[in-house]
Amino acid sequence: MLDAFLAPDVKVLVQGATGRSGRSQTAQMVAYGTNIVAGVSRRDDPEVKIPLFKTCADAVRETGAKASVVFVPPLDVLAAINEAIEAGIELIVTVAEGVPVHDALKAKAATREAGVRWVGASTPGLAIPGKMKMGFLPNVSLAPGGLGVMSKSGTLSSEVCYRLVERGFGQTLWVGVGGDSVKGTRFADLIPFFAADPATTGIVIVGEIGGSEEEELADALIAARCQKPVFALLAGRSALEGVTMGHAGALISAHIGTIETKTAALRKAGAEVSPSIKLLIEAVSKTLAPS
Amino acid sequence: MMLLEHHAKEFLSQAGVPVPEGVIVTDPQVPRFIFPCMAKAQVPVGGRGKAGGILKIKSAAEAPAIIERILGLTIRNHPVRACRLEALVDEAAEAYFSLAFDPDSGTIRILIAAEGGVDIESPEMRAKLLQAAAPPAVAPAQAALETLLPSLPESLRGPMREVVARLIPLFFEREAVLIEINPLFILPGGGWVAGDAKILTDDNALPRQPELRALIEQYPALYPEAALKLAQGFDFVQLDKLGDIGLVTTGAGLSMQLVDEIIQRGHRPFNFCDIRTGGFKGDPSRLIQVLKWVASGPNVSAILMNFFAGNTNLAELVPLILIALKNVPELRQKIILRMTGNGLDAARKILAESGNPIHVETDLERAIDRALADAKEWQHA
Repeated sequence: MLDAFLAPDVKVLVQGATGRSGRSQTAQMVAYGTNIVAGVSRRDDPEVKIPLFKTCADAVRETGAKASVVFVPPLDVLAAINEAIEAGIELIVTVAEGVPVHDALKAKAATREAGVRWVGASTPGLAIPGKMKMGFLPNVSLAPGGLGVMSKSGTLSSEVCYRLVERGFGQTLWVGVGGDSVKGTRFADLIPFFAADPATTGIVIVGEIGGSEEEELADALIAARCQKPVFALLAGRSALEGVTMGHAGALISAHIGTIETKTAALRKAGAEVSPSIKLLIEAVSKTLAPS
Repeated sequence: MMLLEHHAKEFLSQAGVPVPEGVIVTDPQVPRFIFPCMAKAQVPVGGRGKAGGILKIKSAAEAPAIIERILGLTIRNHPVRACRLEALVDEAAEAYFSLAFDPDSGTIRILIAAEGGVDIESPEMRAKLLQAAAPPAVAPAQAALETLLPSLPESLRGPMREVVARLIPLFFEREAVLIEINPLFILPGGGWVAGDAKILTDDNALPRQPELRALIEQYPALYPEAALKLAQGFDFVQLDKLGDIGLVTTGAGLSMQLVDEIIQRGHRPFNFCDIRTGGFKGDPSRLIQVLKWVASGPNVSAILMNFFAGNTNLAELVPLILIALKNVPELRQKIILRMTGNGLDAARKILAESGNPIHVETDLERAIDRALADAKEWQHA
């Protein structure tokens, strides 16, 4: 059922395949099993072991790629997304940190209009454990299993999943949606896929203060009549008001996006909200059987 | 970053928005200004009035004492580092205007109300807000405003049109995330003035926003977090100057969660930090800088370092930690290094060979336990 979101054997191209991080991450994605068919870069690079093309359009025409993972600097992300849309890519994952919000807004409008799914602006990517990954979710935190995972923070979800994997709980699909305020795929967008997927036996949400995504997610859980156990961890309950704590989206102002509003909404939707990583892992262990 | 009111008003003024005349002061010496006037604490949070951060100064004689009192305040954990002296505004009606994103739909949202003021967050006031959404561009936003105007009293329509005509271009030019004017003073003669101003800008846009960069570079003491990010590319926020636990951590989400959990356990983290190990590139200077700041906390009693090396390599990190520690000899508290992930065995070997007594844990819970126990021991010694 998750194939509707992402097929494990989808043909993937890498935009920015010859940069420092693009080159090394491409090799790691290939090693993990991702069906990387092409790289896109303006320059040649003999160290890159996949077919390189000058443009997305060339790469798509020659290889039939349907998905793209983008390793370009933050100020070049919008142009890369537009190029991917033009070339007919259906899923775009962007991983650069520091994409300006106004660019993200334009990218959101463009992907929406074209009917293209965008995971970004700044995310560690996504993975179907044991099969493929786009981006750099760490291998030590990935294992096939029954949890549907979605996260704002890469580091916090890596820690959480690493410890869940140690206890025998792997993932069906893990999507890092990122910590930006304007983003392509929001928590609520993923609920229909996880709710309908028989292999997903529980859902783990790694959220944080700021914005209203967790509140929307609670509404989506209710709307989908999702009966699966949902476990949430929300970071930033002690964040300083008026200051950006690392993530642009994690900025609280007045009474919007606080831990209290998010916790209340998620609990009303039947989710178990844990105050610590340890308690989240205990909650999962008590409710579900390891895979 | 949330601009301080004074700088927000300077930006507004440059965009042709009328604001009361004002100056920024950072010490109590009487500045050249016309009294009576208002003195307003410059902090990036609301609730200043209730906290005693907005006072009237009747004469030059009483100015130093009042300014000094405001500069001594801490409002919602923000020490007041500057004060704006501002000309009084004559009797006026108070309206409300804001421009923000709707992150879900990717549109911009205009909110206006005939009544504004400090109670705008109350449910009754929020119910009176008129709102319209528009695609993110000037012309559609202006068209959206037109749909709201018929619901406003006639006297407000002209001023609101002018507000929008000036603020929407500013919103895009400065890549703002939020512009809020509350109160928007509507003067009896039909003129208008921005009484207060909140502008939230996008740190990620700084590379192409020279005016914002210049502001941060001119006032690094007023925007310490943004100045650090701009100059050195990582995040460090001092949370509690009397905090007992110093944190040297990477990753925004995991670092925030660590702060939360340490507070839940009855301790006081001195700082938040997202040091971004991925950006070290073999250079220990970020580590040295963070360790120096942490060492400067008068009550810091233990230091917790946390590195989950999912994509980096601990064997490359540990030598940098060892160099950094040598460069911060004033640091005498115990250090607990939690590390796990790529290169763990090699990193352990490097540490063992160095003879450094730094305590290593691979499990985060045990590392927190140990840091808190070490802090207690230090405090009792």
